This record gives sequence, C-alpha cells and structure tokens, in this order.
Amino acid sequence: MTITGSKGKARDEGAVPSSVALEASGLGHAYKGREVLGSIDFAVRRGEFVCIVGPSGVGQTTLLRCLAGLQRSTRGQVLVKGTAITEPVRGVAVVFQDYSRSLMPWASVRDNVTLPLRANGTPKVEANRIAAESLAQVGLDEHVSDLYPWQLSGGMQQRVAIARALAYGPEVMLMDEPFASVDAQTRADLEDLVRRLQRDLELTVILVTHDIDEAVYLSDRVIALAGKPAHVSDIVDVPLGADRDQIGTKGTPEFAEIRAAVHGLIRRKDDAVS
Amino acid sequence: MSTSPSAVAPATASERAPRPARQPRAGRTRRLVTQLGAVALAFLVWWVASFTLPIGVMPSPVATFVRLGALASVPEFWAAFGTTVATFAAALAFCTVVGIPLGLAIGSSSFATQSTRLVFDFLRTIPPIAILPLVLLTIGANFQMVLTLTILGAIWPILIQSIYAARQGEALLVEMATSYQVPRGWFIRHIFFPGALPFVMTGLRIGTTICLLLTITGELLGGAPGLGFEIADAQAFYDNERMYAYVIVSAALGLLVNAGFYALQRRLLRWHPSVRREDAR
Amino acid sequence: MNKRLLRDLGLEIWLPIVLVVVWWFASASSTSFYFPPLSKIMESFAADWLDPTQAFDNLLPSLALLGMGYGLALVSGVVIGTLFGLVTPLEEAARPVLEFLRAIPGVALLPVFIVLFGIDQPMKVLLIAFGSFWPVFLNTVDGVRGIEPLLLDVAGVFRLGRARRLFSIILPGASPQIFAGARTALAISLIIMVVAETVGGSGGVGYFLLDAQRNFRVQSMWGAIIALGILGYLLNIAFRIIERLVLRWHRLQQARLESNS
Repeated sequence: MTITGSKGKARDEGAVPSSVALEASGLGHAYKGREVLGSIDFAVRRGEFVCIVGPSGVGQTTLLRCLAGLQRSTRGQVLVKGTAITEPVRGVAVVFQDYSRSLMPWASVRDNVTLPLRANGTPKVEANRIAAESLAQVGLDEHVSDLYPWQLSGGMQQRVAIARALAYGPEVMLMDEPFASVDAQTRADLEDLVRRLQRDLELTVILVTHDIDEAVYLSDRVIALAGKPAHVSDIVDVPLGADRDQIGTKGTPEFAEIRAAVHGLIRRKDDAVS
Repeated sequence: MSTSPSAVAPATASERAPRPARQPRAGRTRRLVTQLGAVALAFLVWWVASFTLPIGVMPSPVATFVRLGALASVPEFWAAFGTTVATFAAALAFCTVVGIPLGLAIGSSSFATQSTRLVFDFLRTIPPIAILPLVLLTIGANFQMVLTLTILGAIWPILIQSIYAARQGEALLVEMATSYQVPRGWFIRHIFFPGALPFVMTGLRIGTTICLLLTITGELLGGAPGLGFEIADAQAFYDNERMYAYVIVSAALGLLVNAGFYALQRRLLRWHPSVRREDAR
Repeated sequence: MNKRLLRDLGLEIWLPIVLVVVWWFASASSTSFYFPPLSKIMESFAADWLDPTQAFDNLLPSLALLGMGYGLALVSGVVIGTLFGLVTPLEEAARPVLEFLRAIPGVALLPVFIVLFGIDQPMKVLLIAFGSFWPVFLNTVDGVRGIEPLLLDVAGVFRLGRARRLFSIILPGASPQIFAGARTALAISLIIMVVAETVGGSGGVGYFLLDAQRNFRVQSMWGAIIALGILGYLLNIAFRIIERLVLRWHRLQQARLESNS
C-alpha cells in the first residue's frame, strides 16, 4: 500500500483509516497576505518514519508548527488519529532545531526532561524515574542530570531535547531539523539514535530537513516540498529495508537513485518558479 | 491565556524575524484609538476621584488644566521652569563632561580601576538626599545648592558605567594588539569608542533620570527656586490646583527628557545590535 | 593563588585607607563649622549609630518602612508587569499613561501624597512603593515579552497549564531582567525613604537628618551620611548575594558565553 499525494489521499484514507497516525488535509497558510504553504495533503501511518524535505525557506517550519497544533493554518486541517486538531494534543511531541533555545537554561537536565511529566501531574519520584529512563534511552549517563543543559555539548543537548520528548510518552514525534546545528559525526550518531528509537518504541516520526541524504537515509517515505507557496511535489517510497548503516546504505545504487529522484523533484519545481 | 499558545506568544515562527519597521496602517490606527481610550479613561478616573474624595483633596482635571493655562501666562511660572531646566542641564552637562572622560581614563588602567572600585561603590550607595541638609547649611537655599546636590548624586552611575565601558574596550585592546598591527589612534577612534558607547549610554540614561529627580527634590525639600519649590509652596498654601498643575509640568519635563534621550541614543547607537535591547528598557 | 588574592585585596583597599587617613589628618585641625575633624565625626557616628539602643531607634523605623515600601513595589511590579507583558494590547493601550506616570519625579509627589494619604506610615510606604515600582514593572514587562518564543512553543507542545507555564517558563525566563529592575528600585526606595521620613515625626534616618539640620548639629549630619552610605552598601551586598543565589544559572551561563566568544 502506498499513500501518495493529494490525488491518492481520499482512496487510501477510506481503505485503512485506523492505521493513519497524522494527516494533513488541504493545509494552507498565508502570513500577512503572502502564501507560505499551498495546499498540502499527506497522511502518515502509525510507526512510519517520514521526512519532509525541501529547499530552505519553503515554509517547512510553518508546516511543522501547524502539524504540532502550535499554529492554526489559514486553510485546511490537521488530523491526529482522525480528529481535527486546533491546539497541541496529547501524544504528539516536538523536537526543535535549536536546542540552545528550546531547553530551559535555568533548569537542570533532569528538570528539563521532567517538564512534560510534571505538567500532567506525575509525582516527582515517578517523573524522575521516567526521566532517568529517557536519558538512558538516548545514551546519556545519569550524572548529566544535575548539570545545566548549556554545560553539555551541542549533540548532548539535542539528546536531552529528544529525551524530553520521549518522557512525554508520545505516539507521534515531530522533529524540526533536529540535526542542523551539530557537527557531521554527531549528526550521524543522532540520526542512527533516532532511527533506533523509532523502531524500538514503534514511534511515528515526521522529520523536517533540508538535507536530501539525511531524508532518504532515515525515512520510509520522503515527502518532497517545492515551489512558492510550498506544495507537495511528490511522495517517494524508500525501500531500503529496515537495517541501514551510514556507510553501507549510502553507498548502494538504490540510495543514489532515490536521492537523485528527490533532488530532481525539488530542483524542478524550484526552477519552474524562478 | 488559553491552552492555545498563540494567546501567550503572538510571535510565531514566521513572525520571529525582526519586527517590521512600520506596522500596517490598520494596526497603527487601532493602537492609537486604544491609547486615546486609555488616556480618556485615566482622565475619567481622575475626574470621578475629584468629587468622590473629600473636598479639596483632588481638584478636577478641568480646574487643574485651566489653572495650568493661567500659570503659563505668569512670568514667575517661566522663571521657575527655566531655573529647573537650567539646573538640570548644567548638572547633566557637568556629569557628562567630567564623568565620562574620567571614567574612561580610569577604566583604561586596571590598576586605577581596582584601586577606585571600593571608593566609588561606597559613594554611589550613599542616598544623595542624605547630603541635602549639609549642602543646605553650607551653601544655602539656592541654585548652586541644588546643582551641587544633583552633581554629587548623578555623577556616580555615569562614572562607573564609563569605567566599565573602558574595561570592555581594554580587553579588546589587548587582544587586538597581540593579533594585529593596529595604530593606537586608529584603534581608539574606531574600536574603543564605538565599543564603549553603549555602556556609556546606559550610565548616561540612569544619570539623566537621577539628575531630574534630584533637581526637583533639592528644590522641593531645600526650598531653592524652581518647579520643586513651587510644588511645596502650593501645598503650604493648600492650593491644590496649583500643586497638581506643577506636578504635571514636572512630569511633562520628565517625558521631554526621556524622549530627548531616546532620540539621542537612537542616533548614536543606530548601528549597534544592543540598541534594541537597551531601547526596550 | 593566595598571593594573587592578597594582591587584589591590597589593590582594592589601599586607596580607601589613604583617603580616610588623609581626611583624618587634613581635618584634624579644622575649625570650620561645616567640616569638623573626622575624629569628631566618628565620635558622633559611634554615639548615634554604634550604640545599640540609639541605633535601633534610628534604624528600625527606616528599615521597616523600606521593607514595606520596597516589598510592595516588588510584588506589585512583578504581578502587574507580568500581566502587562503577557497581554500585549493592554500594555500598548496603557503605554502613554504609564510613560506619563513614570516621568513624574517620585519626590514631586510627596506633597500630593501628603494631601491624599496624610503624613503617617501608609503615605510613606505608598510613596516609596510608587517611586520604586517603575523599574520593577518596566523590566518585568520587557523580561516577560522577551521570553524565548521557542520555550513558549515547548510549553504549548507539552500542554503546560497556566500556572506551570507562568512559574516554570515565564517567571524564570524573565528573572534576570526582573532582578535588574529590582536593583535600580532598591536605590530609588532608599532615596524616597529618607525624603518620606522628613515628614511627620516617626523617627528613622530621615527624621534624624532633619533634626540634626534644624539644630545645626553638623557632626551628626556627617555621621548620618556615613551611616546611610554603610546601610546602602550593606543592602547592596545583601541584594547581590540573593541575586547570585537565584540567578546562579544566569551568571554561570553568561560567564561561559563570554569565555567562548
């Protein structure tokens, strides 16, 4: 089964509605009279890893904020498990690009991670236990809990942000260019970490990125955005199997082929506009 | 504030870019209307208070402004106004001309900075008003007394901020000297002064506020001629309309001084990234 | 390490010591009525401010007044400032009125407050509170409006309730600015305290000064100036200690940023 762009949406929705975790339906957004997002349609299955890729400035961040319920779109709607949302809902966590701004500088790593738990009234002892568990899942030692986030390296800070999202116990994890601010090696490590977490915890992950390699390497499907206002250029399946590694997978001909296809989708639309 | 974050955070991602210089016409008009509404409301509250409170406690806004209009045609009013402005300006000029160069000079030497730190810290924390009785006895209730009091109170923030400013510049100097071959004069002109300016301006802003406060205070408590004296005098004669009129004039002077300072800061620090943050205060 | 510390200490205190010594000897033979010898000043300083019963009589009313007025300014400044910082239209609408009220030199309101509230403690508390309210209020508004928008997004995503959003995100985020305002307010409240105490007869430092001036007790005036300087200095140190504790994270973070740049 494939769920493709706008044309295929209605059919697939009818076929297997229960398997859809999150769906954008005719989503459009205008800011100060300028169209940022055209009509965006796609659906993401439960347990799927989807990357949204497009050139800079096509409004991915706006799209992600709409998906998270942080911003109301001017047209269309976002459905989480079939229900239209107007504000952030339980079960959807977000990891932002800029860890240095999204973590509270005045709170310890532990207090940052327990924030979503304490917000729902989880008792302190229980919250601390879950926080320690989440930190372990992202590969951070217990001893960082008492540090301030800005005392850690960039990669470790982003791990804290991911641990905070995990502590929320999400079904869907939205990630806005989570690895754009770290160095190449850290980036590769974090990519593998997120892939592993996604599979182990059966998470639905929607990750926004500019990096085509990253998008293809990580995802089950790539949603290519292009144009101004941005719209879904096409949706590409990535049949690279479940076991991937940074060097082997990226060296296969299939990888190169998919990458070229995605590249073409983004470029073509770009040229057509300019 | 609902659960929707937009109520709390009007700045969404797409708006996070620097605020546009000019707002859309509709927004500006709406803001002007609400602001006029707020001013009208303030007058309404004043007016209601004027006849709710015991008679004579608070004159009505109309009576106060009629009185203010009458005062404006009396030479004594302008004499008092002129004296206050002149004292304020002279004190500020003195603090600027002495405080900034002295502060920059001290700050350029770490020896001088460390040596004077405790002295200036102590002098700064003496509430300037404490020396009023002393200057009143030694100098008398006149313009010079107010000037002395004001200078002795307002010079510290300017001096201390200038020292701080120069410290920032000196750190740069050491770095520059080790990495580039830069002529000292060029450095001072193009790196040191622009780098120090924002800190100096902070001190100047605090100093300006204190100058006006102390000028009026000196006149009011010390009985030296000026707006402050007129306020105290009006109160002594239970002439509340006159008293309120003079308080309004002092506030207007304060507004004028604030506006003038921000205009100056905007001109001098247009290029500096910190100007927006400083501006907000 | 110890040697350096000692050197720094020496650098900081040699000038104050020299100045005091110079003052001492230069004024020793002074016959001027207004500039008595430092030894005489210290005598009356000891009598008025070091003798426990005298010191309590002079200081306690002042400290109580300052605590109430400054405390009222802090609480109302933070509460109202947070409200105005969160509700932007409210702040925008009220801006001209607030700018006007803020521009009134605090002491100019003394006669007005006397007419409105009498000459007793409540008037003095309100006058101090009014004058020192503005820096707290304005800095709180700025601090609240300057909260990192991404953190508000985080609060939204994890569906923080109002109270938790306020106490976990907004107030901690605004706290460095609030402290900056509170520090300015402390200096202002000290000035207005002295001014307010010259009204009525409830004791305190201001009353002491006025009394000394009326009776031409110049030595006592000098002693009071020194006492007020020490009081201001101690209050400042106390403030800094609290600030260092509460804003530990901010200080460390700033230090880190500076060392990295």
